[in-house]
Amino acid sequence: MRDYWLSKLFFDLQSSPSAAAEYRTDRRKVLDRYPLKPEVRAAVERDDVVFCSQRVNPYLLRFYFFVAGMSEADFLRKVKVAGADAAARSSHG
Amino acid sequence: MARIVGVYASSHAPLIVRNWSGVTPANKVALTSALTEIGRRYKSARPDVLIVISPDHWVNFFIDNLPGICVGMGEEHEGPAEPWMKEFPHRKIAGHPKLANHIVQTALERDFEPAISYHLTLDHGFCIPIWKAGIDPLPPIVPIIFNDLEPPFPTVRRCLAWGSMLREAIESYPEDIRVAILATGGLSHSIGEPTMGEIDEPFDHECIRYFEKGDERALVEFLNERLPTIGNGAAEIRNWVAAHGAAGKRGFELIGYCNVPEVYVGCGFAAWNLAAS
Repeated sequence: MRDYWLSKLFFDLQSSPSAAAEYRTDRRKVLDRYPLKPEVRAAVERDDVVFCSQRVNPYLLRFYFFVAGMSEADFLRKVKVAGADAAARSSHG
Repeated sequence: MARIVGVYASSHAPLIVRNWSGVTPANKVALTSALTEIGRRYKSARPDVLIVISPDHWVNFFIDNLPGICVGMGEEHEGPAEPWMKEFPHRKIAGHPKLANHIVQTALERDFEPAISYHLTLDHGFCIPIWKAGIDPLPPIVPIIFNDLEPPFPTVRRCLAWGSMLREAIESYPEDIRVAILATGGLSHSIGEPTMGEIDEPFDHECIRYFEKGDERALVEFLNERLPTIGNGAAEIRNWVAAHGAAGKRGFELIGYCNVPEVYVGCGFAAWNLAAS
């Protein structure tokens, strides 16, 4: 399932260079415009790729972290952890 | 009556543009050669209109309103919005509303219910192949967007049927025009997933063999079984399936395949053997 407002945040940032620039300058101000659940907002603020990967489309996930300034190498490393995490959860029923 | 004069497929990996300097010399040669050959065949077919079947990479649609299939009916489309596509030479791209409308009417008569749009932005999925194949000047383009990005997807069987319907629509269009079809995307790749960067070359070669043989039932069974097991980018092969249906299911000629880790994509290029009209 998708988290609508998290997805909307990611979609808006990859759609608008000016919104992305504003986000890189003042992340909290942009986040205040979205009714994110507290745990979702906290995950965004700590750049939690694993948490977000379970709630948005993978293309949007990749676009977002690119726009937010995460290096490709860092993103690849973290998204692979998401896979390991999912595998571990599934092996525990 | 209109007729189909060429049906082609091409991968559209963004990093062909964004990271061209990072592509190995051998892969640059392979990609350039394949795209140039697509362009050569396209020009030799002398189409008046080009139908491009491609996904939308979150440019026109979002999860608040996400069509399975959308036909671009506009007189004009916007060029790509991606900042890294700024070198693409066309900001406005002519459409062909009459053919688009005829395709939609035919679809409805054949029990398909496509969405329509009078104002689409054609993203890199549409524009990289036509740009890098050297298709310039651009003919009027009828864009058809297939949802290949966000599940649930149109079924492979339905995409094949859509392609057959598209052929019927073109061949019943009353004006004497030459129409080419370009399906973009695929082959195997994985974006934003734990498997990101992995290319399943054995899958790609097997997939190509099914398209070459043209056996629609075997192709559908293969894709139904394998698409859920590989990277999300391979969902775009649905566009190739629609092209297969439009071409009359006679199989295609592979123009080129290269596994290009630098762009994260198993890149494929093909031209279908056309059924006699």
